[in-house]
Amino acid sequence: MKKYFSRRYLCIPYCIFLIFFVVLPVIVIFYYAVTNGEGEFTLNNLSAFFSSGYAIGTLLYSIAIAFTVTVVCLLLAYPVAYILAKGGIRKNNVLLLLFITPMWINFTLRITALKEVLTAIEGNIAYYPFINTIIGMTYDFLPFMILPLYTTITKIDNTFSEAAQDLGADSVKVFFRITLPLSVPGIISGVMMVFLPAMTNYVILDMLYNSTFIMGSLIGSYFSAYDWHNGSMISIILLFIILAANFVTDRFADGNAGKGRAIL
Amino acid sequence: MDNIIELKGVGKSFNARDYIVRDINLTVKKGEFVTLLGPSGCGKTTTLRMIAGFETPTEGSILFKGKDISKVPPYLRPVNTVFQRYALFPHLNVYNNIAFGLNLKKLSRPEIEEKVGRVLDIVDMEGFEKRKIHTLSGGQQQRIAIARAIVNEPEILLLDEPLGALDMKMRKEMQIELKHMHENIGITFIYVTHDQEEALTMSDKVVVMADGTIQQIGTPEEIYNEPNNAFVADFIGESNLFNGVMKGNMKVEFLGTEFECLDDIEKGTRVDVVVRPEDIVMVPYDDGMVKGEVISVIFKGIHYEITLQSGKNEIVVQRTRAAKVGDKAGIILDPDSIHCMKRGKNVNSFKGVLTKKGTVMFADGEFECDLTMLYPDSSVDDNGNLMDSSGNYIDYAGTEVIVEIPFNGIRMSDDENEGGVRGNIFSLIYKGDHYNYIIKTKNGYEYILNDEYLWNENDYVSIVIPKKLIKLMRMDSEVQ
Repeated sequence: MKKYFSRRYLCIPYCIFLIFFVVLPVIVIFYYAVTNGEGEFTLNNLSAFFSSGYAIGTLLYSIAIAFTVTVVCLLLAYPVAYILAKGGIRKNNVLLLLFITPMWINFTLRITALKEVLTAIEGNIAYYPFINTIIGMTYDFLPFMILPLYTTITKIDNTFSEAAQDLGADSVKVFFRITLPLSVPGIISGVMMVFLPAMTNYVILDMLYNSTFIMGSLIGSYFSAYDWHNGSMISIILLFIILAANFVTDRFADGNAGKGRAIL
Repeated sequence: MDNIIELKGVGKSFNARDYIVRDINLTVKKGEFVTLLGPSGCGKTTTLRMIAGFETPTEGSILFKGKDISKVPPYLRPVNTVFQRYALFPHLNVYNNIAFGLNLKKLSRPEIEEKVGRVLDIVDMEGFEKRKIHTLSGGQQQRIAIARAIVNEPEILLLDEPLGALDMKMRKEMQIELKHMHENIGITFIYVTHDQEEALTMSDKVVVMADGTIQQIGTPEEIYNEPNNAFVADFIGESNLFNGVMKGNMKVEFLGTEFECLDDIEKGTRVDVVVRPEDIVMVPYDDGMVKGEVISVIFKGIHYEITLQSGKNEIVVQRTRAAKVGDKAGIILDPDSIHCMKRGKNVNSFKGVLTKKGTVMFADGEFECDLTMLYPDSSVDDNGNLMDSSGNYIDYAGTEVIVEIPFNGIRMSDDENEGGVRGNIFSLIYKGDHYNYIIKTKNGYEYILNDEYLWNENDYVSIVIPKKLIKLMRMDSEVQ
C-alpha cells in the first residue's frame, strides 16, 4: 500500500505537546481535586471551598480587583487607542510600538523597576497593598487592552461617522452613537484579555511584597503547604468560573456587534 | 425658480498646487435633478463632498440660498447624502437606522414612527423595521439608505454613485424608481455617476467633468447632440471624431470631402467633427459621399457595429442590417448629424527659461532650440555662441520665454532618455485617422500631441520635439 503524506501529520508534534503538558496536567489536577490524601474519591474539597468564608471572600476580592484593573485599563486604553486609530497623528505605528515595547522587556525586571518607583513615591509599599496591586496589574496588562481596541477602531469605516454627521450628529454624538457601539467587539476582547489573567495573577502580587490575597495566592498558599487536593479543587472551580465568563461574553459579542463586525 | 445651491469658482488643492478640482461654477435650481458625470478621478465625488461638507474648498464659495455655507460643518447643513456603499449602521436595525436623524432632532416617538413608516412606504420596504442590516440584499440596503436620507426632509439629496454596487437589472429598476421618487417628493437631487447612460436617463441637467474641471453643463440632449469638445463627445455615447476645417458658410471639410453642416464657425477654423454612428447612413458604393470598405462587423444585440475604412480614416456605423467584411460601401451624412466643435487648443504653450547651454527649459523638460528666432539678425558661430549682427556675444541665459509646440510632428518614445521630457499618457482620443494624446509630466504639465499609432494609457514615455518645431517668443513682447 502506498503511503501518502497528509497535511494532518503536521499537527502531530503539537498534539504530543498538548497531551503531555496540557491534557495530562489537567487530568492530574482533576484527579487531585476529587480525591483525598488516601487517594479515595471525595467531594469534600468542593464543599470545603464553599463552606470556607475565607475562600469565598478571597474569590470575591479577586473579582473586585480584576474588575477594578479592567475598568482602569479600559479607561486608560480607550482614549489612547482612539487617538492612535483616528487622530491624524503621523507615524502612529511608532507610537503604537511605544505602548507595546514594554511587553518585550523581561517581566520580572519590569516589576522590579515598578517596585523601585512605587517605593520612591510611597515610602513603604507594604502600606498600600490594594493600590499597588491595581497599579502593578494595570501596568502589566495595559497593552493587552490597547491592541484589540486599536485594531477594532481602525477597522471602523470612516463613512459611518460621515453618515452620522450627515444625519445631524456632532462629533460627541458621533462618538457615543457610532464609534463606541461599533468598537464593542474590541472592548470585549480587551476585557477578556485583562480580566481573566487579573483574576489569577500571582507573580505580580508576590513580587510587590504585599499582603493582598487573591485567588492565585490562595492556590499558591495551599500548594506551599503541600495540600494538593484543596489547591487543585480551587483551580478547577476557577477554571469553570472562567469558562462561564467566556461563554457569557461570547454570547454577548454575538448578539451585538459581533455580526456587525462581519459586515465591516 | 430660485437657485438653491451655487458653486462659485470652487477649487480644492493641496499646497495650492495639486488641484483635485478647480474653478467649478455651477448653479442648481430648486427641485432639479443634476448629475455630475465623469470618469473616475475627475473630481465629481470631491465636488459632492464639498457640498455635503466633508471637504472644505480651498478657493471660491458654496452658496445655499444665497448664504455662504463653505465653512458650515456637515451636521448643520440642510443636505443629506446617500453614500456609495450605503454606510448603514451595522449595530442598528432598519428602524433605528432610519430614525437616527430624527432621534437627533429630538422628535417625539409617535412622530418618528409616523415618518419612518411613510419613507418605508416610499422606498417600498414596509415591514422591514426590525430587520438587521446584514440580512438585507444590496438593493434593499440601497433603499434603506435612501429612506434614511429622505426621512430628514433635506432641501438637497446628494447621491454618490448609489447604484454602483448593484447588478445591471437592479440598476435599471432603481434608476426608474429614483426618478419617480424625485418627481414625487420634490427634493433637489445632486447625483454623481460615471455611467453616462444613467446620467442621460435620469437628469434634468448633466455636468460633465474631467480632470477636475467642468467640461460642459447642459440638458442630456444638449450634451449628447452638441458636445462642447472632443472629450465630451468621446465620453458620452459612441462617436466618430475627425479633424476638420471650416470651408465657409456652414460648410466643413473632413474625410477629404466637403459637407454641409449647421454650425456657423468662421472660415478656416480647425475644428473637431463629431458624427454619431447611428446617424450615418450606409448606401451603395457609388451613391456615397465618402466611400470605403467594410473591415469589421460586430453584432451588438440591437444593432450591428460596422467599421469602414476610408483612406486612412476609420468610420464606425451602427445599423440593424448586417454587412460583410470586404464589402465596398458608401456613406451619406445629413447636415443635422454633423457637429463641429472649435478646438480648445491648437498648440502646446508653456512658459520657459533659457539655460547657459543654449537650451530651453519648460514644463519639466529641457530641449534644444533655435535661439536665433528670439534675436533679429543673430547667428550662431562655430563654437555654438550666439552673436548679434555686429559680432557681439548675446547673453541669453535666464531669459524667460513663451514656448509654443504644435501637436503634429512631435513624437513619443519608449526610451526615456531620447526625448527632453518624460511623463505618462493621461488620455487618448481616437480621431478617425490618428490618436490625440495628453501626456502628463510628474508635476502635472500636459503635453498634447497627435500620433498615428495606438499607445497604452498610462505608458511612461519621453517626448521628442524636433528643434525647428519649438517656437520661442519673448515674454515682454507677449505682454505688449
